Parts: sequence; C-alpha cells; structure tokens
Amino acid sequence: MICFMFPGQPLTFEATVPDDLDFRQVTALALERTGLNLADCTCRGEGLTEHVRLQVHGVAMSLYHCRRLRREGTVPAIIAEHSMGIYPAMAACGALEDGDALEMTCRIGACIAAMGTRNTYALGCITGLTAAPLMAVAENNGVFLANYNTSRHFLLSGERRNVEDAVAEALESGAFTARSFPCDAPLHSPLMEEVAGELRDIVGDYRFREPTLPLMNHIDQDYLSAADLPEFLVRELSLPVYWERTCQALSAAGVSRFVEVGVGDSLKKYNRWIASEGGR
Amino acid sequence: MADQLIEEVKQMIIDALRIEGMTPAEIDTDAPLFGEGLGLDSIDALQLVVAMEKQYGVVVPDAATGTKVFQSVRTVAAFIAENRK
Repeated sequence: MICFMFPGQPLTFEATVPDDLDFRQVTALALERTGLNLADCTCRGEGLTEHVRLQVHGVAMSLYHCRRLRREGTVPAIIAEHSMGIYPAMAACGALEDGDALEMTCRIGACIAAMGTRNTYALGCITGLTAAPLMAVAENNGVFLANYNTSRHFLLSGERRNVEDAVAEALESGAFTARSFPCDAPLHSPLMEEVAGELRDIVGDYRFREPTLPLMNHIDQDYLSAADLPEFLVRELSLPVYWERTCQALSAAGVSRFVEVGVGDSLKKYNRWIASEGGR
Repeated sequence: MADQLIEEVKQMIIDALRIEGMTPAEIDTDAPLFGEGLGLDSIDALQLVVAMEKQYGVVVPDAATGTKVFQSVRTVAAFIAENRK
C-alpha cells in the first residue's frame, strides 16, 4: 500500500525548478491565485514575507510532484500530512482544488505572518534529547514542543528570546544539535489561538469535498472527513505535530511504501529513524 | 589508516542512512559529508552517531565533536580507530 506523505514548510527555495507541462501548469495556477512566481520566487502585488513565499512554494512543489508521480503511474492508497502539508494533502485526496489549496496557504500564511509584526518568534530545532528532558527545558523557558518528529527530533516554538534560551539550555542538557530559526509566528503552539478567529473566517470561504482517499491527520491519527477539515485547519496550528505516531499508525494501517511528495526528504529521514528503532 | 576501516565506514554510512543505489566505491574518502559533499544534515548525523556506537562502541558526545568527526569518511575512520573499544 502506497502512502503519499506531504511535508511541512521547506527551509529554502529549491535551487533549480523543473521544466515540464505539470510545472508550468502549477506555476500558472500559483501566479494566478497567490501572485508568487515559482520560477524566480518573487511575488507581484502585495508583498509576502519570506516565510509565506516559502509556504506557497512548498505547497506548489508538492502539488507539482503529486501530479508528476500520478502521471508516472505511482498511485497512493492513503494520504498523510505534516504541518502545512495538510494543504496539498487535501488537494491530493480531492477535498480541495489545487488552486484553492494554494490560495488558502497564502491567505493563512499572511494572516499568521501578521503576528510577526506585533512580536518576534522563533522555532528551535533540537536533536538528540528525548521528549521528557526537552519538555522540562520547554517549561523552564516558556516555550512549547511543536513537533514530535521522532523519539529524538523535535521542534520548539515560542517567543524568539525564550526559544533562544531554550536552545542554549537544550545544548547544556545534552542535545546533540540545537539551533533556532526566526519565524513569523509561534506555529503549533497555544499562542496561535490569538488569530483563531481570523483563521476561521478564511477557512470559511472554502468548500470542502469528501476525501476520495483516507487522509490521516497528524494530531490523533484519525481520518479526516470533509466536515472535520475546517476546524482541523484552525486547531492544528495551535497543537503539536505528532509525526512519529503518525508514521507508526500508517505502518499499522498497512502502508508498505512511503513516498514523500514535496521539497526535501525530512519525512523520509524521520521514517528511517522510526523504522530503525522499530527493528525494521 | 587501514583501508579496510575506510571501506567499512563507507558501508556503514550507506547502511545507516539507507542510501539506495550507491556503492562504497562511489563515496570519496576525503569529500565533505555535509553540505556540498554527500549532502547530509543533522538528522543524518544523529543516525550516524547511533550507528557508530552500535557498530564500534564509539561515542560522539556532542555536536562540536561531531563537526570535527563528520568532516569526511577519513576523519570518521580516524575517530573510530582512536576510540573504539
């Protein structure tokens, strides 16, 4: 059983872009619905922050790779998503049009980017520590565990100074690597509830169809229906991403091949770690 | 540095990182493992740390040590040769 898994926001734009019909179609769609030109990563009209452009770029590349894979005969039986991978994941299972997925990504991105004009935020990428000591570090510094990617790969989220302090404490506590990245908003933390109302308004502008493929969510590993999607899209930004549990649930559901559909290969690497711990 | 250990380290990298379609002969002994070389990242580094401990009983205690150890296959092999139990 093949699973298409859609990754979260990439850290960088892809250095080279494809030159084929699928890419040209997705590029045209992204330009029309978001103003972002995938070819050179510039945007027309109202300026989008670097992070929003990366978010739209990431979703567009996922949509492109999904089209290409299907054209080449790779057909998924199940869909999974990590963080903002939910937007192309909804498109992949027919719950949303590709254009709507791109536009929604851009609108939600711009909404949460506005938080960055009122405060400064960061994410902290920690490897090596397990969840329990890292949770203590997070609590000591007033930040939140935002991604549980594997037993030893985590993301912290919160106000920038606090995240930087937490990163330093994580290193003192034995983390193998720990570094922080500035970001527009404290993603996957309760601080995101500040914009929940605005997010609901945005999501309310779209119509969701029933997924034609099972779509597993990263919070409780249940399958999302059309009726679940609007609230999930708001709620998931305030709650952690549980990828390790999701990967294990997908394997238990019978997935025999994982295909990462998007920029980079972080989910593939997380799965490799999870599989090695499970003796596979 | 024993050539055999160099070859073992290359195979360990391929096995631990589950790199498909690559043979030890295709890995340059002195090429950087991160960035421009094999293109490894911190997720890969931690996977290699675990593999080294499991296979050779060698501990890379922190990122600062890791930065020195993971410069190339040759530096990994040298660290193992100096520290293995």
